[in-house]
Amino acid sequence: MTGIRYFDIRHVRGEVTHIDSENGRVESAGTSFLDRAIVRVLGPKGWGILSLDTFERPGRENLDEILERGSRLASLTQQEVVLADVPSGTIPVPPLKEDPRSIDLPEKEGFLLEIEKAARMTGITSTRASYIERFEDVYFGDSSGNEYSYTICRCGYSVLAVAVRGGEMQMGYRRRHALQDFPLRHMQDDGRKAARRALALLDAKRPRGGRMNVILDPELAGVFAHEAVGHASEADLVQEGGSVLGGRIGHAIGSDCVTIIDDPTLPEFGFEPVDAEGSVVGPTEIIKKGVLNAYLHSRETLAAVGHGHAGNARAMPGEPPQVRMSNTYIREGDSSVDEVIAECRRGIFLIGTRGGQVDPGRGVFQFNAECGYIIENGECGQMVRDVSLSGEILSTLHGISLCAGDRRMHEGYCGKGGQSVPVSDGAPHVLLHDAVVGGSGSD
Amino acid sequence: MSSSTMRWWVAVDLIEKILSAGNAKADEVEIYLSTGRSVTARLKRREISYAAGSDNKSLAIRVISGGKIGVSSTSNPGRWEPCLDAALRSAQLANAQEWKGLPRPDPAGGGWINFDQTLIPDPARAGGLLQDMVEGAGAYPVEITSGSAEISRFSTVLANTNGLFREDRESLVSIGLEAIREQSTGYEFETSWKADIDAVEVGRRAAFLASSSAGGRDIPTGTYDVILSPVALAQLVEACIIPALSGRNVHEGRSRLAPLLGEEVFDPALTLTDDPFHPRGTGSCLWDGEGSVTRRLPFIERGVLRCFAYDLKTAYRYGKESTGSAVRSGMGGGISIGVHCATLDGPRCNLADEEGIWVHDVVGAHTANPLTGDFSVELSNAFLTRGGHFEYPIKSAMLTGNVFEMLKGTEGISREERVVGAFVLPSIRLKNQRIIGN
Repeated sequence: MTGIRYFDIRHVRGEVTHIDSENGRVESAGTSFLDRAIVRVLGPKGWGILSLDTFERPGRENLDEILERGSRLASLTQQEVVLADVPSGTIPVPPLKEDPRSIDLPEKEGFLLEIEKAARMTGITSTRASYIERFEDVYFGDSSGNEYSYTICRCGYSVLAVAVRGGEMQMGYRRRHALQDFPLRHMQDDGRKAARRALALLDAKRPRGGRMNVILDPELAGVFAHEAVGHASEADLVQEGGSVLGGRIGHAIGSDCVTIIDDPTLPEFGFEPVDAEGSVVGPTEIIKKGVLNAYLHSRETLAAVGHGHAGNARAMPGEPPQVRMSNTYIREGDSSVDEVIAECRRGIFLIGTRGGQVDPGRGVFQFNAECGYIIENGECGQMVRDVSLSGEILSTLHGISLCAGDRRMHEGYCGKGGQSVPVSDGAPHVLLHDAVVGGSGSD
Repeated sequence: MSSSTMRWWVAVDLIEKILSAGNAKADEVEIYLSTGRSVTARLKRREISYAAGSDNKSLAIRVISGGKIGVSSTSNPGRWEPCLDAALRSAQLANAQEWKGLPRPDPAGGGWINFDQTLIPDPARAGGLLQDMVEGAGAYPVEITSGSAEISRFSTVLANTNGLFREDRESLVSIGLEAIREQSTGYEFETSWKADIDAVEVGRRAAFLASSSAGGRDIPTGTYDVILSPVALAQLVEACIIPALSGRNVHEGRSRLAPLLGEEVFDPALTLTDDPFHPRGTGSCLWDGEGSVTRRLPFIERGVLRCFAYDLKTAYRYGKESTGSAVRSGMGGGISIGVHCATLDGPRCNLADEEGIWVHDVVGAHTANPLTGDFSVELSNAFLTRGGHFEYPIKSAMLTGNVFEMLKGTEGISREERVVGAFVLPSIRLKNQRIIGN
């Protein structure tokens, strides 16, 4: 077929099992099925892309028809897309630690209800728990003759507890996700922790916002790395001129204790054995000792922008690949957590996350903590709630003065361009000087 | 015979087959079959970098036996048998609840209210919308970073073993453009179910926001009057108010509005309604996601909380009536309680005559506490206004407060409204809001 420079097909079939329980009662449980494919055709200029539900991998005749459709779409494009020549290949998916398919649904329900039941302490008025298990059979093939297939399992659960006293209402929650494992056994402690957090928040006060020193716990510091640095380092944004990190390779954008890495090969929740356009995956040091070192790339952005390697194209089933993070973390330092708190002297210690958001072009981010503690004279004091942090990417990273040695990863999902992909973020405890903290308290 | 008619008869046959097979094993069966086509074109800077076409299909099956509800879905309706089996197994696992039956056919008939047959998913048309936005953005000295235009048509069939069989058709056009000047960004968008959007104007507005936000000044921390645009207001209302009006959250102990029926919860000048018949609502519908007839729901009338939203399951369980508030969402078209087109009414006036901070957008509204309504968000494209015009852009600041408290005291709403997701909202002027500046 004339004018087609390249094509690829990514086809995902899968099963998604869910259980939702509320106040000790199973609300819904069952399995659904997905079958979606994306076919990309690179014409003389740009991409023609087909997203197809109910996909049968084509024989020669059908393939021609699909490529013709893609080619017609590609003929509308104006921008000449160039693909970097990069190595293609896969790494093994880690073996299943425990196969969730070997446990029947009623047994899974039992485990989830036990976690939810553990949250029903005195003072807790409402509980909710949910479990999701996702098996995907992924096939990738391209016009260069590369062909890969693998099966991957991701599971997760969350538990929510609501505490009420007088007219006051607060919530606490815990969530965990697992790659290639069944995460529900013996996790009642998460139910108890969610409940204790909700009860404690009833007595927490709203902090008064303003500029102050901040300690971020590993979960929140991981979100910080993700929101404040990770998104702005995605080279599709750099290519579009929509990232403040564009043109700053080699610039010192943070203090020298800051090294931030994205690594899809880690056996964490954001693991990928091969990226969504068949490229070999590998770690990227985005920031190395405070200096911007590399961007995250697809083949297209690597050719257009440079600085780094391909392997970060990711996609939901049936959706076009985008440049995405995988497992992103701030490298641990050599301080102890006590030293970080003592060094803070006066400020706020923020714990857990309710998520965040970034405007990478403007270089401004915001994220919210689940709770925090006021720090006075280098010691933790009063608990606070509904506190968030915002700042500018290019100045905030200079404010990181200490990293502890206790890095931990936390799993979640990241949204971009209407697609949500599994990721993990991680960090040690981090001390941030002179940050803008949002809180609606009056004293 | 057009190809869409062909698909229709194929769908009828498929549905009959599934209902018949399911009815042999369950008290009631419900099918929701959705087929659609869409085209998307995307800009990278000023050029179209890709054009995409989607063929979407999904089938959701719900079965009920002895008050036990089972669900399953698939994106391959041809493989409906495993899906039906999964729904039947799902019902076996559920706890039984009070159940009085799926809806029956409504003699009032049907039809569709948000379908424009002139809106055809044509990639060239999507490309034209992008070009129009680029042209509009030329009014200001900015760089375009990205843009997208999507046109889609969907056909859904909802059928159940009580004889209900309803077809709905929907069309949607959605465009957006992001522009940047130095380090100031501006994003604008428009969504409509009919071919009436002004892409040139969307491009112009995005460029205006980016251009006029450049050279922002710091403002001191303090208390200010704040004018939230429909974009900013919709995000805060969606994060905290809408979940609190869900009957499920109300009865399961997760809504702070639960004990306040009949009491004043908003400024007495404000009325919040779900209007499923709103002519501009992209989610407008004559019946809801499970076939119940929709109606206008005055959630909050002149400040007083009047009602909550229910689907059938929640209504039967708690001895209420469905309010026609079941919405289909997510991969498999699962049912949840939601709004079709939420509107806010109140005293209309010129909001920018007096000094205040005008906020186009906020960063991080989804991090608000959905139970308590507490939030702290970063402002995007915010300006100090005086005498009806923008005095200067604000570089960086946070707005912090509580969504429920915030709406207890307003200074009025704008005459103009716009579509934002499942909302058609005005701007709103709020007194004495706390801003954390630099």
